[in-house]
Amino acid sequence: MRSFVALFAFAAAFGAVIAVVYWFVAHEEATGTALLAVMATALAFAAAYAVVAERDARLEGDDPNQTPQTAAGDDLGIFTTNSPFPVLIALCTLALFTGLLWSPLLAVAGLAGMLLCFWRLGAESART
Amino acid sequence: MIEWLTTTDHKKIGIMYVVSTLSFFVIAGVLAALIRAQLAVPENTLLGPHAYNQIFTLHGTAMIFLVIAPFGIGLANYLVPLQIGAPDVAFPRLNATGLWLFVLGGITVFAGLATYGGAAATGWTAYAPLNESFLGTGAGQDLFFIGLLMTSISTILTSINLLVTVFLFRAPGMTMWRIPIFTWEIVATAMLIVMAFPSLAAAFAMALIERHLGGHFFDAAYGGNPILYQHLFWFFGHPEVYVLILPYFGIVTEIVATFSRKPVFGYVGMVLAAFAIAALSLGVWAHHMFTTGAVSNPFFSAVSFLIAVPTGVKFVNWIGTMWKGSIALRVPMLFAIGFLLNFLIGGITGVMIASPPIDYQAHDSYFIVQHFHYTIGGGSMFALFGALYFWFPKMFGVKLDERIGRWVFALLFLGFNATFIPMGFMGMEGMARRVYTYPAVGHLPLLNAIATAGALIMTVGVALFFIDILVSVRRREPVGNDPWGGYTLEWMTTSPPPEFNFTTLPPIRSRRPALDPPAGSA
Repeated sequence: MRSFVALFAFAAAFGAVIAVVYWFVAHEEATGTALLAVMATALAFAAAYAVVAERDARLEGDDPNQTPQTAAGDDLGIFTTNSPFPVLIALCTLALFTGLLWSPLLAVAGLAGMLLCFWRLGAESART
Repeated sequence: MIEWLTTTDHKKIGIMYVVSTLSFFVIAGVLAALIRAQLAVPENTLLGPHAYNQIFTLHGTAMIFLVIAPFGIGLANYLVPLQIGAPDVAFPRLNATGLWLFVLGGITVFAGLATYGGAAATGWTAYAPLNESFLGTGAGQDLFFIGLLMTSISTILTSINLLVTVFLFRAPGMTMWRIPIFTWEIVATAMLIVMAFPSLAAAFAMALIERHLGGHFFDAAYGGNPILYQHLFWFFGHPEVYVLILPYFGIVTEIVATFSRKPVFGYVGMVLAAFAIAALSLGVWAHHMFTTGAVSNPFFSAVSFLIAVPTGVKFVNWIGTMWKGSIALRVPMLFAIGFLLNFLIGGITGVMIASPPIDYQAHDSYFIVQHFHYTIGGGSMFALFGALYFWFPKMFGVKLDERIGRWVFALLFLGFNATFIPMGFMGMEGMARRVYTYPAVGHLPLLNAIATAGALIMTVGVALFFIDILVSVRRREPVGNDPWGGYTLEWMTTSPPPEFNFTTLPPIRSRRPALDPPAGSA
């Protein structure tokens, strides 16, 4: 987790520094400065979230002396092997986007299908 | 069929990414052949201007969004969990959703061909206000935006998934400083995608709002700014260039180290260079906009020059890895060496056009076409073929034929250079890109004829590659777990790997776990 925080915090700091430099060098050009500043803020948020939410995380992969034997029994969760919902969600997304431009009915159908998929996906996740 | 449609296994999803990107590659290759056929002779009438515009737009769009970038993502899908000793990616369903959004998005882009007015014809950049001019009024342009919006969402979702997988699902003992360089390059790529792709999604969403819902973001007549589109597009677009190359740096590193029988030279430097390239690539977007006169040329020029430094570090490391190694010139290694030679030309021409005075001369000429094809075609595409030859045995338990593979490499290397070396000279003679024909002046007819002959040779090379797959799969000579003497974790499981990847996870005590002495030995 330390690596995650370090990478994101460093990237955020780089974004912040380059945004300030860009503001002055590019004669106060607003678009690029805003893009860099938003990027830096998003990265800083991700790093801060990891620090706050995962501060007690102890990962087997971070310990160079861990072996599969010593880590045996750790719960990695359940990995599903099949689900019909990903392909259905993709189809509904396509229906939603094309419907927004050309057919409100198709857009509503796409949105409804998507919500239905997410609902059933939640149920499937709870089961597995 | 249903099994593959509904699978959430990262290996099957990785294979489907590879198969779909190769399918798009064939289509984009056919389009490239049409472009070269049109340009084979001056004043050619084989294709009209509108057909030509659609063809080069779809060719560029497919190669960038549907082939090179997703192949890297797809390969990462297959390899990253294997390389870090994880049973799958962190979010398998999200992973499958990403795949299907990508496939449907790609088909949507090409669906424009079936609409009245044809497919998008405004280049892969689809600049405003061009995308609202007579070239971009059709439904094909809308399908272009919708399709690429879907592939962008797919890429962002998959990148988040890969990042979480690498940070949280490493096997016991697989510390961050032990993960293979390919996985490191994927971490850098995924971070770039998460930072840069939202900007593209925003640009395309704004373009759609402008086209259908009365928005005026880019319309100067209503107080909008067309340069805003270019900023949003290139804030994604230049990092995208590194999204197109960083995974391939990783592929080449693994191949070079395996076939030089040596550890990666300068592992830490290699990782830091990847992140330096990724970070700097976020500060160079407007070097594509030098000639607008609306950006700070000194700033973007300076940062663009700086990127050459970490890229140079990588070259030193690759050469250092080969230095005094016991080099085996197998097919993947040939492609890796081809990558190094071609990418070097792409990199050096990139440094040239990072200088605004040169860029003003070269902008929108065939010099630029040569430059980016040497990076993406000569670089990434050669690494792509190297990866296919290298990991095909792991994916399918079958090794591709070595003799045919050498011919594939020879034809592609010869054909590629015959096609693209002349383009630098065409650019210097003033030939403009994205124009469907040219006059018979200077050396342009000869240079174009050579380029078209080169494209023909490449076409034969690609066809031979698919023949190689057919021959090898039919022959089906079994391979062991590690046919190449590889050193990373994926070579310690069966070929192809079982469900959840490892029946027994080996102990990980170094960066080269496959070469560690067995536990308990002295």
